[in-house]
Amino acid sequence: MLFQWALRKKHRQKPEKRETVVPGRDQSGKAQDISQEPLHPQLEANIDMIRRTTGNSTDIVIRRVMVGQEGQHRAAVIFVDGLVDEMHVSRFLLEPLLEASFPPSFSAKETFFYIEKNLAAVGSMKQVSQWFEIFLELMSGSTIILLEDVPLALSASTKGGDYRSVEEPQSQLAIRGPRDGFTESLRTNTALIRRRIKNPNLWLETMRIGEVTQTDVAIMYIKGIVNDKIVKEVKTRLGRIKIDSVLESGYVEQLIEDQTFTTFPTIYHTERPDIVAANLLEGRVAIFIEGTPFVLVAPALFIQFFQAVEDYYARFDIATALRFLRVLVFFISLVAPAIYIAGTTFHQEMIPTLLVISIAAQREAVPFPAFVEALVMEVTFEILREAGVRLPRPIGQAVSIVGALVIGQAAVEAGFVSSAMVIVVSITAIASFATPSFAIAISARLIRFALMFLAAMFGFYGIIMGILAMAIHLCSLRTFGVPYMSPLAPFIPSNIGDTLFRVPTWAFKERPRLINQKNISRQGENLRPQPPDPARQDEGDPS
Amino acid sequence: MEPYKLDQRQLFVLIFLFELGSAIVIPLGVGAKQDVWLAILLSLMLGILLSLVYLRLYGYYPDKPLTAYAQDIAGPWIGKMVAILYISYFLYIASRVLRDFGELLLTFAYPETPLFILNAIMILTVMYGVNKGIEVLARTGELFISLLYFVMLLGFVLLIGSGLVDFRQLQPILEDGWKRVVKVVLTETLYIPFGEMIVFTMLFPYMNNPAKVKRVVISGMVFSGLNLAITMTLNFAVLGADAVARSSFPLLDTIRRIQIAHFLERLDVLFMIALIIGGFFKVSVFFYASVVGTAQLFSVERHQRLIYPLGLIVLILSIAIASSYPEHIAEGTKIVPLYMHIPLQIIVPLCLLLICEIRHRYVNHQLGR
Amino acid sequence: MKGKICIVVLLLLCLTMLSGCWSKKELTDLAFVIAVGIDKTKEGQYVTTYQVVNPGNVAGAKQIGGGASGVPISIFISTGDNLFEASRKASKKMSRLLYFAHTNLVVIGEGMAREGIGGLLDVLERSNQFRTTAKVIIAHHHSAEEVLKVLTPIDKISANQIIKTLEFSERTWGQTINTDVWKMIHDIASSGKHPVASGVDLIGSVEKGQRLTNVQVSEPDARLNLDDLALFKDDKLVSWVSGEAARGVLWVLDKIKQTGVTIEWNGKKEAVGYKVIRTKTEVVPHLKHGKPSISIDIRAEGDIAEAPVPIDLADVKQVFALEKMIQHNIKKEVLEAVKKAQQEKIDVFGFGDAVYRSYPEEWKKMENKWHEHFFPQLPVTVTVDAFIRRTGLRNKPYQFGR
Repeated sequence: MLFQWALRKKHRQKPEKRETVVPGRDQSGKAQDISQEPLHPQLEANIDMIRRTTGNSTDIVIRRVMVGQEGQHRAAVIFVDGLVDEMHVSRFLLEPLLEASFPPSFSAKETFFYIEKNLAAVGSMKQVSQWFEIFLELMSGSTIILLEDVPLALSASTKGGDYRSVEEPQSQLAIRGPRDGFTESLRTNTALIRRRIKNPNLWLETMRIGEVTQTDVAIMYIKGIVNDKIVKEVKTRLGRIKIDSVLESGYVEQLIEDQTFTTFPTIYHTERPDIVAANLLEGRVAIFIEGTPFVLVAPALFIQFFQAVEDYYARFDIATALRFLRVLVFFISLVAPAIYIAGTTFHQEMIPTLLVISIAAQREAVPFPAFVEALVMEVTFEILREAGVRLPRPIGQAVSIVGALVIGQAAVEAGFVSSAMVIVVSITAIASFATPSFAIAISARLIRFALMFLAAMFGFYGIIMGILAMAIHLCSLRTFGVPYMSPLAPFIPSNIGDTLFRVPTWAFKERPRLINQKNISRQGENLRPQPPDPARQDEGDPS
Repeated sequence: MEPYKLDQRQLFVLIFLFELGSAIVIPLGVGAKQDVWLAILLSLMLGILLSLVYLRLYGYYPDKPLTAYAQDIAGPWIGKMVAILYISYFLYIASRVLRDFGELLLTFAYPETPLFILNAIMILTVMYGVNKGIEVLARTGELFISLLYFVMLLGFVLLIGSGLVDFRQLQPILEDGWKRVVKVVLTETLYIPFGEMIVFTMLFPYMNNPAKVKRVVISGMVFSGLNLAITMTLNFAVLGADAVARSSFPLLDTIRRIQIAHFLERLDVLFMIALIIGGFFKVSVFFYASVVGTAQLFSVERHQRLIYPLGLIVLILSIAIASSYPEHIAEGTKIVPLYMHIPLQIIVPLCLLLICEIRHRYVNHQLGR
Repeated sequence: MKGKICIVVLLLLCLTMLSGCWSKKELTDLAFVIAVGIDKTKEGQYVTTYQVVNPGNVAGAKQIGGGASGVPISIFISTGDNLFEASRKASKKMSRLLYFAHTNLVVIGEGMAREGIGGLLDVLERSNQFRTTAKVIIAHHHSAEEVLKVLTPIDKISANQIIKTLEFSERTWGQTINTDVWKMIHDIASSGKHPVASGVDLIGSVEKGQRLTNVQVSEPDARLNLDDLALFKDDKLVSWVSGEAARGVLWVLDKIKQTGVTIEWNGKKEAVGYKVIRTKTEVVPHLKHGKPSISIDIRAEGDIAEAPVPIDLADVKQVFALEKMIQHNIKKEVLEAVKKAQQEKIDVFGFGDAVYRSYPEEWKKMENKWHEHFFPQLPVTVTVDAFIRRTGLRNKPYQFGR
């Protein structure tokens, strides 16, 4: 029902109104069918209207009260059970409303304004007169107060109810670093960032996306650091979205990314507020979506997916070594099975003699060609992984034990696969888990299969051509106008310090060039730690 | 014209990859024996002189490719003829390089695979790259130049480490005097790869900083020329003059000699990487030049539409130009330099420049009055 | 338009996919030929012996398909008018494709070597499978076939045993030379140098040596020993040199890495052992009035390894005296080798090449007559600098005080 109604509504919309994107305000009510008419003066009619529109939903609480000196004004307090903080409602709305002493001569209207001005002890209070606004407020967790003979309603902000509290994020764990993670509540999430960047230039713009779900979407950036072109681009792309629902940031991500037909992620998503804060400070834009702990960061560069958050907390030499390791790991997870296939079926001449004899000995009894063997093993592994991910943890462990026994032990002993193959598959698997970003690991996984096919057909030639084509593809990608492979290609020397390398923190002089064009400088001069100046030391130390 | 712009670094990368391209793997200038480095350096100098001619022409027409200003200089009819000549020349050389590449791959690793298939895979990738545009090609180059250079350095270190380099094999220097060297320069190394810089006259208009082009071109040529000279010299120092002269691919033989600790051996894959990267960029640049040249000549708005037909032509040409590898090489060393390289790399550009200079003098003269 | 193009590309891809895998070869379809032996029959046909690895029986590979109980290698013999024909003919006896990319050893029978190798090595250089880094060895007193048949105890694959012996023996003793196909071809093709290779001899009976029992005893019935150096004149084996003269050849070729020199002391023959650690040889050609001459400068550094005679090694004078003796000994070895080569008119040292490098103009006149005329009469001067750097963990031997 709702769905059809939303669809119907879409056709009626005037396109030119869409063009001017003033986020937050005017988009909201458009989907509401009931919306256009104002409130009825009669309380019962209004209550009836609410009942009808919500289909008598049981979680809509309608509390009728009598207010005024002698209780001469009938009123109703309406809220959605679970979306509001009930303590809040009863202590700061109901109690004052029932116990207050109104001047006796007050008309209904005067009572209404008196309630608005003097009684309700809540943070935000406003008058609403349109139905669509009322429903929006109601569904967002506000409490509506209606009064007999007044065609207006009061909306008190009483948002509350149960949210998951701030916990350590499940993905992107770090040994060193803050332990808080985003939650499903947009406000909590934005607050986590505000707490980190105490600066008025941290700007936040909210809009609602989703004709049916009316999901809050917020974009956050630091004015003065961010490149305005990118903000504008993000807003335009968000404004273009016409969709019935946004249930996770993935919906938005897929609708605003530059190119769909690529396996590489061009928008970064994270559960960690420190990553978002760092990205904002580099001049990126964060997109928060109500109802998911995954915040989008755009534009995202290829190299970003190899940067773990700890790189910046650990010392630079260790971080650099780990970065190299990760790129290596990415390549292993990309090409290891392909190289095995190419090496054992095409280029036996390129393997050292003893090694090739050893592999040959293992393959003596294996009944499948190397490619089939590799494919079967890789697919088996993917099945195991998929099974392990979805299952409840205790059963998941059982699956991995069975899997390890099946592929590691039994298959080798039965002679179905060679132990070299098992080694290759497990190295690949571990390598793909060691890639810091799941998004890039999974794209490597897809490409791995393509490379395996190429290797089975053309050996190393196929692999190299496949990687060449992949590189061309990567270089042709853009993310919000920024070349995806920058600062490697196009090569930007001043930004290379945060790619494969991670230079010491005092040498982080510049923000990424292409992402933020104006405010490049990141830190002062001469931050490099110096040995204490002996002259000054003498001064300061009297002894 | 695409709206893309290349910066200096990207042009440098393209020149470097292009110049090394196939030259690094084929027996280049082996006629000069152990004096090959002299031959390469000499032709590098002459090549720079030649490219100064191209740069001078570019200076007169900074926003037009060769095929366009040929029409301005020589008039629409002769100009169009010249443009067509150049386009076919680029196409032909693209298919020659593709053939070289396929033959190499076939001989040393894929003896049973049809040449057509190997070439088809390569040209498909080239077509994909050219379809994405020159900017993407240049960026890919920026990624792969480091890989290529790493491979070269690795090979160099391994060669030194395995104690194969015997510089005595480079003696005697100038055994027969300069005659042999000059002969090789004038018949071979001047045109491949240095004279082939003519193809960059099609790319210069994409530069975002025309003032720096001269410096980039010369430094790119010098850098790649030096690398080429070092590589060829190493081939001689490792293999000896006699073996290099007999070898189809000296670099492959050199790499195959590496044997360290019974493990770092059989490193043919290094050669393969160098071969494929070099071959790819060389074919791509020639192919791109012919595609944009054709688009410009026949006023095709989206040059991407020409990629498929022209790519097919290059592919078929690469198979059809010769029936055997010796025939292919004979064409390349005897016929092509005389009838293609000399006229198109030297004579025509010089004539164009001459006409252009005279005309400009004359016009200036008139204006002066 | 775009759709059509996609279809064309897809068709091309399908074409490659469907008929793909031309050069593909599965490991289980390959017979890894680890060594090739070349002999010649009386009728002039070539007999090639292929030593093929039986991977399942090589130690370390303990998977299904054969316990480590069988023979690690298998021998296939084939004859033909050239090596290529012989290798293809062998397919009648093989269930797998002969695969030569891992052929690390080429054994040439003595009979064949004496008749001349000729252009036989061309196939080894031309083939894309074969590697020219394969070592070359000459079967002394035996045919290549017999040598390859013997099973060896420590390195299961006898070819590996020979290769490793070649390598380590050259490095520690220096009377054998570790040469490969590349070097052979290079030397045969060169006008100023003749090839030299090591010989391998078979001690014991071939019949017993090819049985598994040969490796089940502590002292095998048949053994492969490296012995003399084979000197080639162009492509023909002419003579063998052994012992110190053989080491003399390696001294000149600058191939000695480590070796031991024994020195006479106070009338006691072969008393003190001198361990050479580092050497460098330079061959310098000279030309006076159109007559070439060669000077050889050898510089050796080393330690005292053994001193079973009373000698005060703490005394510098004694050490200097020892150094003199060492120099004398090395010089003697070298001169012996040079004399032998000059007698046989075989320039294995590459003196011709050295002259060519330094005097290319004059070389052109000498080139044709070099081996017959110039080389045998070439004046050769040898200077040796030997240094005793250390004397080991003791200075005076315990014999000294008595």
